[in-house]
Amino acid sequence: MARNAVILAGGQSKWGVREAHIVDLFQEAAKACLDDVPNLKPKDIDGLIVATSYAGRCSFQVNTAPVIAERCGLKPTSICTRCDTLCAGGSTAIILAKGLVESGCADIVMACGGEKLYTPQKWEVFYSELASVDHDWDGVHGMGLPPPFFSLTAQEHMMHYGTKKEDLAAVSVANYNYAATNPVAQMQKTLTLEEAMSAPVVVPPLTLYDCCPITDGAAACIITTDEIAKRFSDRPLVYIRGTAQTCLNSVSANFPGVHLADWAHTRIAAAKAYERAKVTANDIKVAQTHDCFSISEVIEVEELGFCKKGEGGEFCRSKQIEIGGKVPVNTDGGLLAVGHPFGATGVRQGTEIMKQLQGRARHQVKGADIGLTHNLSGANAEHTILVYGLSPVK
Amino acid sequence: MAVLGIPILEDLYPSTMDMWPLQAKEFNRSFQFYENLKQGRLTTTKCKACGHVAYPPRVVCPECYSEDLEYTDLPTKGKVIVFSEEVKGVPLGFESPLIHAVIDLGVDPARRVLTRIINCAAGQLQRGDEVQLAVFPVPAMPIDKGKQGTIMFDRVFFAFEPVKK
Repeated sequence: MARNAVILAGGQSKWGVREAHIVDLFQEAAKACLDDVPNLKPKDIDGLIVATSYAGRCSFQVNTAPVIAERCGLKPTSICTRCDTLCAGGSTAIILAKGLVESGCADIVMACGGEKLYTPQKWEVFYSELASVDHDWDGVHGMGLPPPFFSLTAQEHMMHYGTKKEDLAAVSVANYNYAATNPVAQMQKTLTLEEAMSAPVVVPPLTLYDCCPITDGAAACIITTDEIAKRFSDRPLVYIRGTAQTCLNSVSANFPGVHLADWAHTRIAAAKAYERAKVTANDIKVAQTHDCFSISEVIEVEELGFCKKGEGGEFCRSKQIEIGGKVPVNTDGGLLAVGHPFGATGVRQGTEIMKQLQGRARHQVKGADIGLTHNLSGANAEHTILVYGLSPVK
Repeated sequence: MAVLGIPILEDLYPSTMDMWPLQAKEFNRSFQFYENLKQGRLTTTKCKACGHVAYPPRVVCPECYSEDLEYTDLPTKGKVIVFSEEVKGVPLGFESPLIHAVIDLGVDPARRVLTRIINCAAGQLQRGDEVQLAVFPVPAMPIDKGKQGTIMFDRVFFAFEPVKK
């Protein structure tokens, strides 16, 4: 009988500027995850995949998985490993866990991710960001911190499609307002269009609320098979129907689009994930996309097929990303407002889609049966997409 | 010079905190790129077997996996397609204004190269402006040569600067 992967449970630590060590954050996340399905105990878990990119630089810890396993009271016997795909690390962990449980290499895998980014002196994390992109060819030009790169991206979207600053601000307002009541979000405040439009400049045209913050935090989820999941929970099963991870370049000079606002690699990843999931863009009822910057979400709703290319600004400004809109996006607050501890983000997104499909999200999308998560990572060098649904692919 | 909080690192060189490429031949088979830069040349590798020009330089052709590569010159002048200017909050290692541009060097694979623009005041650059290669020295890299002691390897890097009108 075919083994079909599901996401059984999920949770996260409080995200923000945390007075905590990276191992503290992972323990908080593991507890939040198991509290989500109280019948599941640490001894039931036979696999662990830890997504973290900065543990080596900011916590002086490589080979992170055994450290996290021990601190979280896990004794994995099937797999215990780390993955590093920066902003897509959590989603990568889920994809790998799906493959492992469906192939029978593991039964119950904790896929988790986390980062401790606030170092005793702030320069160190900013300086380390030179390694987040292709170090010798982009980082060395000062392209590590992403605002300049996404400023260029936003300018090219404005040049080619007439997108306006108000369109970007609409994304920030929607995502901040989703997060305002999220107790684990870094930014728990409402935001008005006026506040977003008059915020301090970061790199024009990007201003404060266009950029996600630096975040400490962790998140954990459980990936297992549908048959095993039924032993632990009566909730609706949320299947991982299809996935894709597309990498066509690393150095920005080899960006695969015609310009920086043309994300050919996103389109390729989406087509592959939709094909594997046997859905189309029109089937997606709720999405968690990688809103590292407001402009990212504008382009993502286009490239994921929620609207036509070039109409992302209008799509966001006309509230199609809000509850009641065509595809509510980043319903827990997204990277902009929940924060972005790189390796944790994909797990947070998967957990929110699980809750949406089970009908227990804070900002619930009525009748959501198919949901999607999306990440970009590095200097927009890789795209990772997962499609979740209430039934397996037949 | 002492490292604050880590006295054992006094006078030691942590290459993991060095923002510039480890460009000496002992650590980098693409060292010729940097040697060419020192001569004012911006170069990359061309495959002698299939003719493919790759950027950045390789030691194996990404198209045909031949190892028979040669360095070829790229243009040292280009045009600004789009640029960004960061004035406040410039990260350690860079000066304000930190200007980035996508530039067109007019030949593949260098039609959209992302570079830093230097020797340019804030508010001066325009889309379409002509820029030229600017090579500058960066701190020498100390290499431990065992009994021969530590040698200081001179290094350079590049950006582009506006062509004086």
